[in-house]
Amino acid sequence: MLTQLLIALNGLASAVAKPLLMPVAWCPGWLSITAIGAVTGIAMLVAFKYTSNQSAIRATRDRIKANLLALALFRDDIRVGLRCQGALLLGAANLLILSIVPMLVMFPPMCLLLAQLALWYQVRPLAVGEQAVVTVRLAEDRLDRLSAVQMGPSSSALSRVGPIRVPAQGIVCWSVEAREPGLHRLAFDLDGAVFSKELSVAVGGAWMPTSMKRPDRGLFELLLHPRERPFTEASPVRSIEIEYPERSSWTAGSRTWLVYWFVISLAAAFAARPVFGVHM
Amino acid sequence: MTQHGASGSASESASGSVPDAGRVTGSRHVLSRRRVLWGAAAAIGAGGVGAAGYFSGGINRVSRGLGKKVIVIGIDGMDPRLCRALIEAGRLPNLAKLAAEGGFSDLATSIPPQSPVAWANFINGAGPGSHGIFDFIHRHPHEQCAPFFSAAETLPGDGFLEWDDHRLQLDFWPFNHKPPRTVLRRQGVPFWDYLDARRITSVFYDLPSNYPPSPSQYGHHRCISGMGTPDMLGTYGTYQYYAEDAPADAIDEGGGRRARLVFDGESARASLVGPEDSLLETPHPIRVAFDIHRDRESDAAMIEIQGNRILLNRGQWSRWVQVDFALSTPRPFPTQHAGGICRFLLQEVAPNFRLYVTPINVDPSHPAVPLSEPPSMIQAMAKELGLFYTTGFQEDHKARSNGVFNDDEFRAQATIVLEDRLAQFEYAVDNYDDGLLFFYFSSSDLQSHMFWWNGDENPTHPTRATGEAAARFEHVKALYQRLDGVIGDIHDRYGGKATILVMSDHGFANFGRQFNVNAWLRDFGYLNPRECTSILTDVDWSRTRAYGLGINGLYLNRKGRERDGIVEPGEEQEKLTRQLIARLQSVRDFNGAKVIRKVYRSSEIYSGDATALAPDLIIGYARGYRASWETCLGELTPDVLLDNPSAWSADHCADALEVPGVLFCNRSIRAKQPSLIDIAPTILGEFGVSVPDSMTGHGVFES
Repeated sequence: MLTQLLIALNGLASAVAKPLLMPVAWCPGWLSITAIGAVTGIAMLVAFKYTSNQSAIRATRDRIKANLLALALFRDDIRVGLRCQGALLLGAANLLILSIVPMLVMFPPMCLLLAQLALWYQVRPLAVGEQAVVTVRLAEDRLDRLSAVQMGPSSSALSRVGPIRVPAQGIVCWSVEAREPGLHRLAFDLDGAVFSKELSVAVGGAWMPTSMKRPDRGLFELLLHPRERPFTEASPVRSIEIEYPERSSWTAGSRTWLVYWFVISLAAAFAARPVFGVHM
Repeated sequence: MTQHGASGSASESASGSVPDAGRVTGSRHVLSRRRVLWGAAAAIGAGGVGAAGYFSGGINRVSRGLGKKVIVIGIDGMDPRLCRALIEAGRLPNLAKLAAEGGFSDLATSIPPQSPVAWANFINGAGPGSHGIFDFIHRHPHEQCAPFFSAAETLPGDGFLEWDDHRLQLDFWPFNHKPPRTVLRRQGVPFWDYLDARRITSVFYDLPSNYPPSPSQYGHHRCISGMGTPDMLGTYGTYQYYAEDAPADAIDEGGGRRARLVFDGESARASLVGPEDSLLETPHPIRVAFDIHRDRESDAAMIEIQGNRILLNRGQWSRWVQVDFALSTPRPFPTQHAGGICRFLLQEVAPNFRLYVTPINVDPSHPAVPLSEPPSMIQAMAKELGLFYTTGFQEDHKARSNGVFNDDEFRAQATIVLEDRLAQFEYAVDNYDDGLLFFYFSSSDLQSHMFWWNGDENPTHPTRATGEAAARFEHVKALYQRLDGVIGDIHDRYGGKATILVMSDHGFANFGRQFNVNAWLRDFGYLNPRECTSILTDVDWSRTRAYGLGINGLYLNRKGRERDGIVEPGEEQEKLTRQLIARLQSVRDFNGAKVIRKVYRSSEIYSGDATALAPDLIIGYARGYRASWETCLGELTPDVLLDNPSAWSADHCADALEVPGVLFCNRSIRAKQPSLIDIAPTILGEFGVSVPDSMTGHGVFES
């Protein structure tokens, strides 16, 4: 049930993200991630405004201010000082509690959004002539068919090494060389059935969505790899994975984009707070 | 506060508070917001211009080379005889053109003609007495004859903090421990220091005899260290070889390590041996486990190491793989890391699985030890070119000598090195503006060691059939042609604008027969007892008057210098020296051939402040001969003269007069007998810098 829901949500998120994130393909990486960070920051701010108890937050913040003022005014009175510090702690805890509901509301869409962003920023597509390892994982009850897995002919990629069958892990691997730019499908044959996986090949570091794995139906896998439909429970192939190269950048690199997006979205939300009159 | 009147504002300003920050007094001095913004913009602009000026034209940055360009291509081991023959055959058109345009000459090499000595001569513009490097290997006389590498030495640290089973060296207050450090043992002033002091840029790529890289005082000298740079294990290069038929217990062989693989099904687990975990009380090597999965049907295998999957067909090399070595630290200290790089070669899948791993090089993108001056230089190159070899000896001659590689595998690996170097050469030329550019090629040296064989001098190769020896020698000739193309390229780009010097540190000769100095000393009663197998283990110093260590050095066991010395300085020493020279120079092989061309007294050929560790005698071998392999580390063999069964079948550690290097230049060479020590004065002269007294060489453009 949850799996079906997640598959449906992924489909919805992909449909929405496709036109919205299309400009990423044209912009420099730093610009697109900055813009997306700013927009999502403001969107989170607005969502926070309408999903939180603003009057309660305002009142709590006022109490915190009052206690801060009291701390400054009655510096010599220890009892007042301790009482104010206790009240400050309570106020902070109250603010945290008041933000739980908006956080819970925002959590699912943010997870879906981040999974969509990861398609663009987590790895980069292969360049023409570049090689990557492709791994097909079989279901545990089909390991005896490892030697029957074949990679189909393709004009987009050429098998350079393999297949290498690893019974201990239930996988078959190839090293494939990208031949043509574009979004392609690699096909694998097992006992007459064909299983495919998307392959992204770009020219000159161009941006395009890149799905690292066509997953099985595990929830976490579905969340992390939203672009391609998962294999069914009955499928002898559990997953197909391509090890794409990392993207190197201070802003939109494989190891930095998430932190950079988070910082930009926070900064944008704080900057826009007075404009939208949001109490946080 | 903003509701206060003007007078109120004035009085509060006077008391230190600023009620209206933008206003001072009077309408003519109003500091408007627009003014503040313009002021800030102007300040930022001025700052930017200043910073740009600092980086591009500041006093510490701008080159005073005034557009003068000198390009030196160092081709290790390029031989003048072979060059002449190939030029005559029309196979080196670019070098022929350079020779016709300027000049071509033999270049006198160092005594002894070993690369570290020769390149140090080049660096100092003076002989070994100035830089103190006399051989690959030196010895500590106060420890009798404990050997060490001559070019660099790692000195032990001082002080540590014991914590569990760790020894921590904390180099800050209040501990102030001194960690171990590697020091460059080359002495004297390198010629680039004189350029640096005059703000003239000099850039060196893979400079030998300069590890760790010497610092630049004024920031105009940049250098990547070459020969002498160690691998992650602290050696000159230790490969690792895994095979099903390797000995059950891993063994270390000179320059390599063999370990057995045991497959469970078609998978096996092995471990890559890395640097020592120096933070432990009892240091031991850090091991990184990796898995091997083979597929006999595909004749291929997959290696899984630290999350990387590497797929290889039989005979295929992997790309560079980054390996992280984690040094253990006691809690709560964070784990320390050192990054290395290596490449895998799948030699055989079945029936005997064989896998070769290159020496673990220091990762140039995150060097664990300084490899360049400034340290960022090598990182910038790695950022643009990707990973590359950083050890001094890049062609894996040890793998060939120990039989891990066959000739074709060695050549393939050497070709990878050459391709790497050619890419770096492009990078070097693209990033060159003016001043001195030095670029070093090692391929001609190490490929010659393996493939050189001049059949005219010695028709019979010690290990190869005549036809095969000739075919392999053809590889060397083809390599010369390839390098000739590089010279042509640089000449096309800079021929009219730069002084171009193409030089080598020495030439080459066959190495068919080997001479064991210590065995010879034993046979004449200079070294005892007769049963002695090594001067490092079972020699009787109280009955030993002379010993050999290194390739060309012979030392007297001198009283007052050696710990257990017995030869009295003065008359006894002189008598012994004369006797040794006379007897050595009269050594004949079984066919009557002279083995040793000349024996030099170091007191006669070396001068300078750095002669303390010099051997007493330097043996100059005749062509075709060299010190035996065992001699280098003081071992003895039953016979004095032996065939050389090694794949390393050519060498240059003969008499210096037998193996000169080459000098090509696009300017006329006027010196009658140019020498390595003349190159530094020549370069200084090209930039109008006077030659310091410490240099004994002279410019080659002076008659």
